[in-house]
Amino acid sequence: MSSSSIPEQVGAGAVPPPQAHRGKRRRRDRESGWVTAALAAPGFLWIGFYLIAPLVIIVLVSFWTWTDAGFDKTLTTANYRELFNDSTYWENMLSTVITSAIAVVACLVLGFPVAYFLALKVQSLRIQIALFIIALAPFWTSFLTRAIAWTFPLMGREGALNQVLIKLQIISEPLPELGFSTLSVRLAMIQLYILFMITPLFFTLAQVDRSALESARDLGANWWGTFREVILPQTMPGIVIGSIFIFVLTMGDYGTVATVGGGNITSVGTLINSKIGAVQYPQGAASAVLLVIVLLAGVWGITRFANLREEL
Amino acid sequence: MTDQAVSHQEGAAAAAPSTAQPASQPSGLDLVGLTKVFAGGTVAVDDVNLHVDHGEYVVLLGPSGCGKTTTLRMIGGHEYPTEGDILLDGQSLVDLPPHKRPTTTVFQHFALFPHRTSLQNVEFGLKMHGVSRTERRAEAMKALEMVGLETLHDRKPGALSGGQQQRVALARVLVTKPQALLLDEPLGDLDRLLQLRMRVELRELQRQLGLMFIHVTHNQEEALSMADRIVVMNDARIQQVADPLTIATKPATEVVARFMGDNNIVRGKVTQRDGDRLVVEDEQHVKASVHAPGARHAVGDPGMIAIRAAAVTVDADGSTAGELNSAECEIVFVEFLGDLVKLHLVAGGERMLAKVGAEEYPRLRGREGERIRISWREEDVQLLDS
Repeated sequence: MSSSSIPEQVGAGAVPPPQAHRGKRRRRDRESGWVTAALAAPGFLWIGFYLIAPLVIIVLVSFWTWTDAGFDKTLTTANYRELFNDSTYWENMLSTVITSAIAVVACLVLGFPVAYFLALKVQSLRIQIALFIIALAPFWTSFLTRAIAWTFPLMGREGALNQVLIKLQIISEPLPELGFSTLSVRLAMIQLYILFMITPLFFTLAQVDRSALESARDLGANWWGTFREVILPQTMPGIVIGSIFIFVLTMGDYGTVATVGGGNITSVGTLINSKIGAVQYPQGAASAVLLVIVLLAGVWGITRFANLREEL
Repeated sequence: MTDQAVSHQEGAAAAAPSTAQPASQPSGLDLVGLTKVFAGGTVAVDDVNLHVDHGEYVVLLGPSGCGKTTTLRMIGGHEYPTEGDILLDGQSLVDLPPHKRPTTTVFQHFALFPHRTSLQNVEFGLKMHGVSRTERRAEAMKALEMVGLETLHDRKPGALSGGQQQRVALARVLVTKPQALLLDEPLGDLDRLLQLRMRVELRELQRQLGLMFIHVTHNQEEALSMADRIVVMNDARIQQVADPLTIATKPATEVVARFMGDNNIVRGKVTQRDGDRLVVEDEQHVKASVHAPGARHAVGDPGMIAIRAAAVTVDADGSTAGELNSAECEIVFVEFLGDLVKLHLVAGGERMLAKVGAEEYPRLRGREGERIRISWREEDVQLLDS
């Protein structure tokens, strides 16, 4: 009895008093409202605790100052002013944006044929799933293992790529660009993140009605016309989701940069990481806030591009 | 008056090619020995030969898996025949991809583009043929007007009802001015009332356009009501090609008689032969005479006949009809269907069916288990090829 009286009371509080005493139907509505709330609550708590609260705290901290005695909580824009004048920060921001843009475009261009083949060319569902799992296989190893595989075994002065090029007599000595370089970092990122593109593309392509493709052919469209007019527009949600995934993940990435770049290469991520490492919390927080703003702008740009494409 | 005029014109048009042009100028669609064997050895279509005239409404009818859809897909270019040829006005289509064929298909579930408005769906074919934007918009709008959907031109398929989607699908194919329209179960996704209305609309549209329509369905009533000619298929082969009246009243084979339904099939032996007149009797002593010119049956041969349920009459009580073309039956079930009554009967061990007018219902109601006598006329008996 007592356990059931609790939701009753709270429920009565939520519903205006004149309606509170009417029939079973209303009670059921109220109960189902509680069920909905109960089901939604974990999600809300999760997002509130792990996303909204940390963001608020970071924004708050970015307006503080760090002293030897701890945080000075007077609000100041000094951190931001300093950052705006910090050319290193903006150079890194630019190179990180370029890296991310390259990763997004390369993953899209390389991932689309794979997803297209899996979703539309493979007829049997069983083979489709088997091939998809094989495509996933590299991701069963840890991120760090794969990142390290990109360093001295593959790239680097003595790495496989340089050795092969020398053996083929295309180059006479190891190319430094294939060592701990920006190029290595950018190449590695494509391979490390491509699955975040292939997966959403695969699922949106798999939903394209095959008989609509047949009817496009029937109405006079060749392969390219069918692709451009029927497949591509319907795959837009997958392209947008995949692009956002890769853009956001590569912008914030510092593990790959640190490992594959061998400490020679920096990015916004590694800058923030080093500021936090040097206990410059407010500085780090301000850098992170600016990164989030650039990220939001990028995500907005990606969705905007998709809309534009749709209107053409 | 107008009906006569139309039929006269049609007759003249149909007669014209044969008189004006000799056989060297073939017109219409020809399927020649068309065969499709799928990987794995399933024979989907086996040696189908068929001629369809321009302006003709032909329905391919048969149970699912009979090869009718595969036949249609081969005509449209969506399946490649294993053997045989498809000729349109004497030109082979077999090696042309779908987008280069003068045929278009209305697919089973309409296959509209979900991300495009009805107008964009309709203009698609013209866009792919390089027609300029203003021109194709105008053409598409005209096609939408033809199917009565001009006001819904900016709706996407998801916001249209089944019947409206069906009309968009029709407008979309008609705008490309095909020489043959292929329809795969075009009414299958609609509810019954809409089906009935679309039958009339579709047929009216075809008559206006004077186009060749090839329509695939498993629905007997739909085929009978719409076709100029019905092609009944079963097990990858053509069973019978004839006009609806012939298919309904004079089925050529047991398969057709069973598939069209409401036929009493009596399988027995020929017990008498008198010129073209045969008498067939089965083990339950149901005896029927049939006029079958050209039949090669001799006395003692197995014979099979079909008696249409609608041609069976219930005799007045105490009738003393003879044994021939008549049977004494027990009533198993009296099924009232609104405008008619289906009597499920057993004659000896033989199940029989009689369809009588609804006015008989008061007299028959509740008489399950009683015995009655039924009879039929010789003209309504059809000898079947086994």
